[in-house]
Amino acid sequence: MKLAVVGKGGSGKTTTSSVIARTLARSGKAVVALDCDSNPNLGISLGVGDEETERLVSMRQALDEGEEEHANNWDTLISRYGSDGPDGVRLAVVSRIDNPEPG
Amino acid sequence: MRLAFVGKGGAGKSAISGTFARVLARQGDKVLAIDSDPLPGLAFSLGLAIDHTPPIPDDAVVERKEGEEGPRWRLNPDVDPFEAVERWSVEAPDGVRFLQFGKILGDPKNLWRSQMAFRFVINQLPAGRWNVVGDLPGGTRQAFTGWGTWANTIVIVVEPTAKSLLSGRRLARMADLDPENPKRILAVASKVREEGDVEMIAKGTGLEVVASVPWDEELAEAERRQLAPIDFAPGSPAVLAVASLVERLSEEKVS
Amino acid sequence: MSPEQLLGSVEFPEDDVVVADFEAGVGTLTRLGEEHVDTVVIVVEATPKSLEVGVRAAGLASERTVARIVVVANRIRHDQDLETVKAAFPGIEVVGVPHDPKIVEADRKGVAPIDLDPDAPAVRALIGLASTLMPSAN
Repeated sequence: MKLAVVGKGGSGKTTTSSVIARTLARSGKAVVALDCDSNPNLGISLGVGDEETERLVSMRQALDEGEEEHANNWDTLISRYGSDGPDGVRLAVVSRIDNPEPG
Repeated sequence: MRLAFVGKGGAGKSAISGTFARVLARQGDKVLAIDSDPLPGLAFSLGLAIDHTPPIPDDAVVERKEGEEGPRWRLNPDVDPFEAVERWSVEAPDGVRFLQFGKILGDPKNLWRSQMAFRFVINQLPAGRWNVVGDLPGGTRQAFTGWGTWANTIVIVVEPTAKSLLSGRRLARMADLDPENPKRILAVASKVREEGDVEMIAKGTGLEVVASVPWDEELAEAERRQLAPIDFAPGSPAVLAVASLVERLSEEKVS
Repeated sequence: MSPEQLLGSVEFPEDDVVVADFEAGVGTLTRLGEEHVDTVVIVVEATPKSLEVGVRAAGLASERTVARIVVVANRIRHDQDLETVKAAFPGIEVVGVPHDPKIVEADRKGVAPIDLDPDAPAVRALIGLASTLMPSAN
């Protein structure tokens, strides 16, 4: 199942995503949390801490530099961009932080 | 002054920057307020209903011709940035001029030329005529990817939450990456509730906190009613805090 | 590749649940298509700006996908708040989540709300929502 959570910044979508992810993981599901926001904060709400959240993003940035996206394989994606969070939720930051589109 | 207000979504940028623009204008300064968010926000905080503002016309932007050099798109040479602002901005209370993106009513794809024109006009506006107060959308997408080039000072609005602090640090780092366009980077603490919040924000961002805007129920109410905080609650702690910020920055002659 | 394209093109194991937290702008919904998601959760508050974003998102989502759409009315303080949100989304499922000092505290501390207090009202409401999202969940 794929679920997208959207909403105006500050409305609480990241908190909502995090509780949904953790709850479904606790019910026995294999959950992947994708942070697709160009200002990624999901790690904090999931409970991995702000340092790890920052590390994940800079890892993403480092891999981005000069590199085209070819990750079609899920495991590759998670191993390149991801981290293990509480309740077995796997977190990956998949946004581009420097996208210049208006929004 | 050319200040761009940035920060994580929901921090209070529109309310703070809109109030800032009105207070600055009341001092007698010429103020141009700009909003580059595809969704409405600053207009209400300035005291305007968004229906009044048509988008910049598509033909303000022209495409490079066959064989011509340079970027694919540029401002129509017939368009003078000063005149563009005069023509396409609207007047808000206290004489503030207001220029915003075309707001997305239909397919966002239809507005990209207008939005590009907006960016060109703002970035090519020579200094001196207006103080510019800009409200950039929440997050990092626009902040330092060409949408804030016009600014000399970046004001990062930060709430006392871990996520907002992280966003603030991120924005501060991004601001520092452009050595050709050095900017002063300041922080404003927003929705302050507790002793120690300001210090937490200063420590957590490594920035100078130049104002502390308290959590203010009246500001929230103004927002719910789509009214300018300065009109709805002129004496509220939050509005007064922004007025002090205007005073402080005016005295410093921040550019 | 945009996050939306990624969501559509990457082969996720069938039993995995993917929760994608998206950019707040309208751009997201214009890029999400039918093949990308099963459910769209739109989080709003009972304020004009938040509702405006949410209503546009709901419009785009129903136009472009057959996904189930659920609206979360967040930070509800009064019954009127919930009514305001329901009125903005006629015919769409709306779940209310109360304003909760524990969420404020979790935000301030930078910890997961579910860790700080799993019994806090807002957390319970979100846990309740989660359990309705998986038809096969117990």
